[in-house]
Amino acid sequence: MLSKLLIATCIYLAIIISLALYSRKGERTSKNYLMAGSSLGSLLGMFTFAATLFSTFTLMGMPDFFRVHGVGAWIFLAFSDALMVFGVIWFGYYLRKSVKESKHEYLGMAGFMEKRYQSKWVGYLLFVGVFIFLVPYVAIQIRGISIFLNQAFPDALPLWVWAVSLVVVMLVYSELGGLKAIIYSDILQGILLLTVVWIIGVFCLNSLGGMEAMFDQVEAKNDKLLSVPGPKGLFTLQFFIGSAMGIILLPFSQPHISTRLMIMKDNKSLYRMALGLGFFAILVILPTAFIGMYGAVNYADLSPAEFLGKTLIDDQSEIIAVLVTIGLIAAAISTSDSLLFALGGEVRSLLKGEDKEMLNITRVAIVVFGIVCLVFALLSNDQLVLLARTSFAGTSILAPLIFTGILDKNPALHKWLAIPTLIGLLLFVCSSLGVLPKAYVGIRAEIIIPIVLGMVALMSVFVGRRQV
Amino acid sequence: MKDTVWKICCALVIIVAVVTLSPLVLSEGKHRPELMGMPYILWVGIAISLLLWVITYVGILFHPGKND
Repeated sequence: MLSKLLIATCIYLAIIISLALYSRKGERTSKNYLMAGSSLGSLLGMFTFAATLFSTFTLMGMPDFFRVHGVGAWIFLAFSDALMVFGVIWFGYYLRKSVKESKHEYLGMAGFMEKRYQSKWVGYLLFVGVFIFLVPYVAIQIRGISIFLNQAFPDALPLWVWAVSLVVVMLVYSELGGLKAIIYSDILQGILLLTVVWIIGVFCLNSLGGMEAMFDQVEAKNDKLLSVPGPKGLFTLQFFIGSAMGIILLPFSQPHISTRLMIMKDNKSLYRMALGLGFFAILVILPTAFIGMYGAVNYADLSPAEFLGKTLIDDQSEIIAVLVTIGLIAAAISTSDSLLFALGGEVRSLLKGEDKEMLNITRVAIVVFGIVCLVFALLSNDQLVLLARTSFAGTSILAPLIFTGILDKNPALHKWLAIPTLIGLLLFVCSSLGVLPKAYVGIRAEIIIPIVLGMVALMSVFVGRRQV
Repeated sequence: MKDTVWKICCALVIIVAVVTLSPLVLSEGKHRPELMGMPYILWVGIAISLLLWVITYVGILFHPGKND
């Protein structure tokens, strides 16, 4: 099995490195390297958005989430993703319009907001905000897949070698070809991801005797898995609201996704891309429910890594197991490289000076971010979905500041909003670390903080308009 | 006309979201009625996702900035 995996990995690496080399054509400017020339069609856009969005957390975290917490996981992700897709059309239009009218070149949200607010501190705050929440998100992708590989091939390599190898691969091809290389490889990774998740999903469904028999067996095992709030009581109204808020705001609060709104050729391509993405989301999440139910029946008491190792590798034929492993590696890489690259884009957007020199600094910064994420990956814990959710929720705190910068005609009047946003970020971090309470007046921190910040931003806009 | 349909789509998305998060859908411990063996929260969740997709499709057709 290991030799087959090595052959498949070599083929996969050869393809993505070739794509990276192919992408090197043309002049190397920040716009070409970081924004892929900003002329993407809807199909390419859909694949790169989907491959970036549906990461290890979807393919490994979601089956485990369904297994442990039950079918309410559908509302957590699929419902929130459907709302997010509508949000892409609703507010994506305003983001693109705002960039077009401001006549500033968009290389990252931090730099764009710095120009809109005419305040470098707003730019720095946004960069720090995304950095502290995206580093753990990249880290869990790397850690998730490394643990899986370590579990699947216990005698092959230690966990840290898997993690280092993944980071080296993603740095090499993204440094070589820039965002274009990432986009091309995202097509391959998106197709691979969808194929793999359906092969395993159908296998799990058939193994349990079809839909009705599957849910009968789940009911016999633990009927709480078939309703909310689930066996552990996780799926409460506040959990769903907090998750939905975080996920809906992703395209604006997380730079790797904002970038994908900005690199579309025109609005029509953006809308078609969003529609395709909505369907892709349903297609990807549905089989993860089958895999989770299979786990609930057969491997209810195992750890997440053991359950995934059994279901995705041990119970499959060798060829499928190899395909699954490559698919999971692809999923982890496609999200992580986009995130690292977007962090680089945020740095570039804040730098001023000769383009070639600034681009070189950005490329060094991407390598540094890769190393930081690697260290965090080796130190973090295994709760993939919950860590991912903290990342979504954390970046959503930046959303009121970003929306004011996009929607208001004179954001410079509201630059003071950086102060409450900074306080909100600190409160959220302290709440997440357990230093401060996780809820205020009975409402979870990740819900109340963005709501309060949103109200403050609205008041500022209202007062600003009256003064004008 | 275009603008009105777009606004209706925005309103519908908000209504669907509110209904989904209401006890009508998030009813504690309820897994019946089933559909093709699927528990209530799952098949209703899938139906809601598809409904939102259809609203998005209609919204795209009538989006005021479609041709910008």
